[in-house]
Amino acid sequence: MVRVLSLAALAMALLLTGCASKVDYGDAQARETVTTDFGSTDLQMIAAKMVDDMMVFPPIVDMTRERRPVLFVDRVKNKTSEHIDTESITDTIQTKLINSGKFRFVDMSVVNRVREQLEYQQDSGMVDQATAAQMGRQIGAEFMLYGNLSSIVKRDDSTKDVYYKFTLKLLNIQSGIIEWSGEKEIRKTRKRSLFGL
Amino acid sequence: MKAILHPLCALLLAAFLAGCSASNLARPGDEGEVALHSNNSLLANRLAVEALREKTVGDLLYVQATLENGWKFELDFQYKIKWFDRDGFEVAPESQPWRQLVMAGRSQSNVQAVAPNPSAVRYEIWVRE
Repeated sequence: MVRVLSLAALAMALLLTGCASKVDYGDAQARETVTTDFGSTDLQMIAAKMVDDMMVFPPIVDMTRERRPVLFVDRVKNKTSEHIDTESITDTIQTKLINSGKFRFVDMSVVNRVREQLEYQQDSGMVDQATAAQMGRQIGAEFMLYGNLSSIVKRDDSTKDVYYKFTLKLLNIQSGIIEWSGEKEIRKTRKRSLFGL
Repeated sequence: MKAILHPLCALLLAAFLAGCSASNLARPGDEGEVALHSNNSLLANRLAVEALREKTVGDLLYVQATLENGWKFELDFQYKIKWFDRDGFEVAPESQPWRQLVMAGRSQSNVQAVAPNPSAVRYEIWVRE
């Protein structure tokens, strides 16, 4: 009887342990290959490649030798069939470029909020005008960063192959000339194992 | 004679084994530091830095390492270049990603990286699986 009860207690303990969930921190830069979908490793590889390519392109090196050009990020068009937050890719690229000390950025996504703040400082009567930011003093962007993310997906019964191509361009707003363009290709393949596991 | 040969053989064997070790195959610049770092001794033994080149682009350090897979099978691993300033502080540690690399057996690949900003004057190449 005691043995039966012990076994039951053991079985119950195992069952409860099996149901317990565990939260843990992981390495944000670890290789992520859960599926072939676009993932964090792809984002990090793309951002690093784009920034490295841009920084060593001779005309860009010359351009940034004496000054820090002002850029704005337009958008990266997602032409894949997946939902991908392309703004996250451009945010990472922008952060790396700013921290390089070579470029400055204007952020078009906060224009309305900046205008509201300027109007508040100018018109509300609450702000000391000696310290208020002035209208019409912002610096115009000289270049625009924009690009595309496309994919080609092929699959058969046992294999899925995804090819991603990320293209980024730097356009001179005044002349319309593309000053630099970079590309990063990524291929991911998933093969089903023998027993479909 | 036997007593002299024996230590000599041991010395030669030790030198041979040290020469095969992959943990200190190339040295960057004149700092005399080990170029390839890894916590995975198996991976480090299979990989070697065949050549190391560096130049300054604008005021940024630009490095290229030629990695050699000495193993006869494909190696799938990650590498990262860590940058340090003059005082030994790591520069932008979280902005440097681990990059994927797949190398066929007995092949060479060039990996390149640009310093995140002009304060980086020294670097280390790390590999992991």
